[in-house]
Amino acid sequence: MSTTLEYATIDTSRWRNLPPPPGFSASSSTSRAPVRSSGASQASYASLKEKRAWDFAIGPAKSLPMQAFMLYMSGGGVQIFSMGIVFMLLMTPFKNIAAINAAFAPFAPTNASANSIMTLPLQKLVYLLCNLLTLAVGLWKCRSMGLLPTGTGDWLAFESRGTPPEISLL
Amino acid sequence: MRLPKIFLALLLTALPLPAPTAALHESEVGIVDWHKQLVGVPLIGSPNTAPLFHRFSVGQGVTKSVVVTATGSNVLAAIDPVDGSVAWRHVFDAEDPIALFKKHKDVIATLSGPGGSTLRTFNVLTGHLLLEKRLHALNTGSLFEPGDLGLGIAFVPGSTPNESEQLLVLANGHTLRRVDARTGEVVWSWTSEDQSSLIIYTRIIPTSSTIYLIGLAKSVKSYTLHATTFSTQSGTLIASRNIPSSLSPASATTPPSSAFLALSLFPSPNTNTTTSSSHETPPRLLWLEQKTLHTLPLSPSLSHTKPGAYKGVAYKELVDVGLAEGYGMFVAVLGDGSGKVIGVNGEGKGEESAVKAFWEFSESADSPRYTPSIYAGGLDKDGYPYVSRIYWSHVLQKSSIHTYAPHLSKGEGLVTGFTLPFDTTMHGIIVHAAIDTANPSPYRVLTRVVLTTSTGAVQLWQQDQAQWTREEALAEIAVAEFVELPEGKSVGVEVDLGGEESFVGRVARQVLDAKDFPQYLVKFVKRFATGSYASTSTSTSIPPTNTNTTTATTGPLTRDTFGFRQMLVAATPQGKVYGLDSSSGRIVWSRVLGHGWAAEIGATVLPIKLFVTRGVGDVDVDVRGGGDAGGPQVVLVTQRKAENTLVDTVIFHIDAMTGDDVRKVSPSGDIFQGLDIISGPIIEAFLLQKQTKTVILLDEFMQVYLYPDTEAHKADLEAASPSLYFPVRTGGPGKRQLMGHQLLLNPELSNRFVGHPTWTFSLPANEEILTLIPSRRGPVASVGKVLGNRSTLYKYLNPHLMTLTTSSLTSHPPRCAIYVVDAAKGSIVYHATLPTSAGVCDVKATITENWLVYSYFDEDFTGVGQSKGHRIVSVEFYEGVKPDDKVKSSDMSSFSNRTTEVTAYEQSYVTPYGITTLTTTSTKFGVTAKDIIFATTNSKIQSLPRRFLDPRRPNRKLTNEDVEEQLIQYEPVLQDHPQRVLSHSYQVNNVRRIVTAPALLESTSLVFAYGLDLFLTRVSPSGTFDVLNENFNKAQLVLTIVALAVAIVVTKPMVQRKRLRERWYQ
Repeated sequence: MSTTLEYATIDTSRWRNLPPPPGFSASSSTSRAPVRSSGASQASYASLKEKRAWDFAIGPAKSLPMQAFMLYMSGGGVQIFSMGIVFMLLMTPFKNIAAINAAFAPFAPTNASANSIMTLPLQKLVYLLCNLLTLAVGLWKCRSMGLLPTGTGDWLAFESRGTPPEISLL
Repeated sequence: MRLPKIFLALLLTALPLPAPTAALHESEVGIVDWHKQLVGVPLIGSPNTAPLFHRFSVGQGVTKSVVVTATGSNVLAAIDPVDGSVAWRHVFDAEDPIALFKKHKDVIATLSGPGGSTLRTFNVLTGHLLLEKRLHALNTGSLFEPGDLGLGIAFVPGSTPNESEQLLVLANGHTLRRVDARTGEVVWSWTSEDQSSLIIYTRIIPTSSTIYLIGLAKSVKSYTLHATTFSTQSGTLIASRNIPSSLSPASATTPPSSAFLALSLFPSPNTNTTTSSSHETPPRLLWLEQKTLHTLPLSPSLSHTKPGAYKGVAYKELVDVGLAEGYGMFVAVLGDGSGKVIGVNGEGKGEESAVKAFWEFSESADSPRYTPSIYAGGLDKDGYPYVSRIYWSHVLQKSSIHTYAPHLSKGEGLVTGFTLPFDTTMHGIIVHAAIDTANPSPYRVLTRVVLTTSTGAVQLWQQDQAQWTREEALAEIAVAEFVELPEGKSVGVEVDLGGEESFVGRVARQVLDAKDFPQYLVKFVKRFATGSYASTSTSTSIPPTNTNTTTATTGPLTRDTFGFRQMLVAATPQGKVYGLDSSSGRIVWSRVLGHGWAAEIGATVLPIKLFVTRGVGDVDVDVRGGGDAGGPQVVLVTQRKAENTLVDTVIFHIDAMTGDDVRKVSPSGDIFQGLDIISGPIIEAFLLQKQTKTVILLDEFMQVYLYPDTEAHKADLEAASPSLYFPVRTGGPGKRQLMGHQLLLNPELSNRFVGHPTWTFSLPANEEILTLIPSRRGPVASVGKVLGNRSTLYKYLNPHLMTLTTSSLTSHPPRCAIYVVDAAKGSIVYHATLPTSAGVCDVKATITENWLVYSYFDEDFTGVGQSKGHRIVSVEFYEGVKPDDKVKSSDMSSFSNRTTEVTAYEQSYVTPYGITTLTTTSTKFGVTAKDIIFATTNSKIQSLPRRFLDPRRPNRKLTNEDVEEQLIQYEPVLQDHPQRVLSHSYQVNNVRRIVTAPALLESTSLVFAYGLDLFLTRVSPSGTFDVLNENFNKAQLVLTIVALAVAIVVTKPMVQRKRLRERWYQ
């Protein structure tokens, strides 16, 4: 059982005609000034959003030096720690790219559709490139650990040979 | 327990393999391996090497006897007559053939080498070598035929027990020495002044004062006896004279030394009566001249009179039964074949009665009802002589033995006899006998006889009871192969060849099959609960109930869980084939090979090749429509050399499980008669494996004979013939060359395929091919080798590779060489020139996949930093010139231009021992790493992992990539690691060949070494990765799982309750 407060019953007419408190200026609530200043703040808000979108787009690139340092510290062996980092490096770009529209939605200009791929195209492109850069670092690490099947030796087990055309009796 | 192949490959590559510590544990000895000590077939050609009983005192009046023999495997052996075990043996070097041995009390003295260059004495009880003395340099020794001519050992009589034995040693036919048996000190020596004269001294008769040395002088048309006498003490020459005689040996082939005998008498064992007179009995010479027995007493001054002749009786042969020296007795064979025991008559006066015939064996004349007799002499405990006669009666189908004892029955002589149920279908015919007698009561004589048979068996019979048999032919195995055994009973799977079965039929069959399900379930639960799985150590052990029963009642052998029990079929040049159980070395069956039409005149059957023509998995096209499911079969290709020099090629088709004749010509238990397929010698024999397995034989005219010669096999050959290539060695000894051949059928000329040459392997004129070693064929798991940088070296897997070793001894300097040749095209893939060792080429090699390993002895040392020693060289062939070059060599035509695009990586190592033979392990899928198995000159079988022989071992500090490839840094010396010795502490002597075969387990390979001894073990080069460790704690695993299950059952409701509470009070 819940209780609700019913404000409608309060009689406000008694207090309408009270004089303002001493020192209260009525000019601050005039209507002209707010109209002019609202246009300026809208523009600054849009530029702020764009700036924030650029910051977000190059965010993966900014974290690269730190990740590179982590990779360096994790060593070349195939261990749980280095594997964790490598998996993180390989997975995050894909996750980020998949969620690219959602990630940029807060920065979308008010007049544009937040979920369209065409909003903030430059930022998104840069974001994409930065993520690919992260992926490349991850793949480079994989290669240095020998986890990429690049050599012929990795495909040797799938090679097959037929029977020779000649038979030699020995 | 068996995993798919790809799984294994993954497992192998994924496992970080440390250096395999595959040492043999002491607890595994006798479980994973067995060793059969053999001595070889006794040399029965001369009484100086043939088996004999020797009784010696071991103190406190206790005597012990051994059977001493020299054998064709160059072994001096003492066999315990009680159980037939080898009391001791001494293996002589191949270049030091044993020529004769002499026994005396507890010493056995031997002469060996050319001209008797080495004297050795042994303790008869322990076999310890007491003395080894080189009498002359090997190259100054004269070679005589037979080997014991011109040699002699005699013990100087009269040495007291305290002082050591003195020996008189005659070597080289002209040098006599008196040698101390313990110290080897030469007391005196005498050499014939005229060494180039034609006198070959060959017999020593020592007496306490005088030594008589009897020799043979070659005169114009016959041999004349020559005698020389010496003083025993000082060795001064007393006299030397020719004896007017003219020896006539029994036939052209018998040596002249067998035509005369030197009789002498020891002081009689019965010392009470005739001590003085026997001392004075002079030695006496006896010889056959114009079939007449002549005799002459010898005196120190040799001032003898005219030899006495026993005219009127024609003798054929004098047989020394080992009693001539010391007992003055021998057997003379009359013209009609009767045997007479003749001896020195101690009491008689005058030359006519000096020698008398004691006894003539009744019914010993030549007769179609029995074979010619074999005579043997022996002694009893008191030293009285006995003479025995053994013959085989065709009427009774039994052997009989008659023993004559001259001193029994108040000096009248006593003959006792019995028959031996000798099994002639198992052991051939008796070729030699040695007897040992006992005389427990005045009219009873007990005889032990050691028989040597034509099949190389040595048997001891005590009266008519066979005590033991040693199959010494196994010391001379010519060919041997593993044959896989079939499973015990085929459960469930019945392959219906007659098309599809109806639904009702299938349901009915499955319902029927389901009746075994409860039994299976019970078994499964029991097995699971008790954990009684087969383990690698117990899988081949025979259940205890079966050990005492014979093979006939246990039925055929069956395969064990891991395929460790296989049948070893071995053929010997003695004309006998054996089937051995590879898990224990037990002889499961043995068959004597028949001589066919040559049975009357005698022949030898020499095995050439042995082919497994039907394995366990093979479908037999010859037996259509089921019925005879058939076990594994082998075909033995032999050459029969008859006494009249005719040579035939004979084929024996043998059921490997039972030894039965597959052709059903010879009943089991009888002599195995083969099929005379070629009336002439054979050039080569091959096995063609297509839909069928066909044995292809080539006669002198390169005509092809097939076995089996059915339509299916013919069609198979016809289909294969255009692409069939084979090399044939041509030319006689000294100029053996190699020619490649192809088969051609010209119906206008012949209905047989005929081989015609397609290429010649041209070697320099003075270079001759010694051996042809075909590549060991088996499944190849991987076509390349992955390097550290992930590139691949593709293996050069030309399936036609073979290895040739050659020698060119007449070139300057003499050289040996090794070639790897494509057998289809004759092109050389690899060639290396090697030094000779002691003037001969002794290169051992094995080749498998793309890997060649060979060993030789390098005696060149030309400068500082080089040394002589045994080398082992490992060569690997890879396609192209660099990694990732690929020519697909394994399925490429031999006639492609790219077959020679090959790079050989090689590296040479120093081994501490010489290698007598080497091979690689073989496994079912070829996934497991291959070890080299080799036999060393110090009688051990060793394994060497491939890692140590990798020719890519870097000669620098290892890089990361090298480490990733698990390479190890190159070291020239292969350390002699005792844990790599497979043969434990056994001496496995003179190994001629090592055969390896895969077991059902991929990890394990069976290794069988034969030579003088037989040795079998199993090896796991990469560890037993496909079988659980024996120490695996199954109880712990089951308990853990049970405990976890209980924990789940207990905690599940608790957790559910808890989660409910959490929801409620959130």
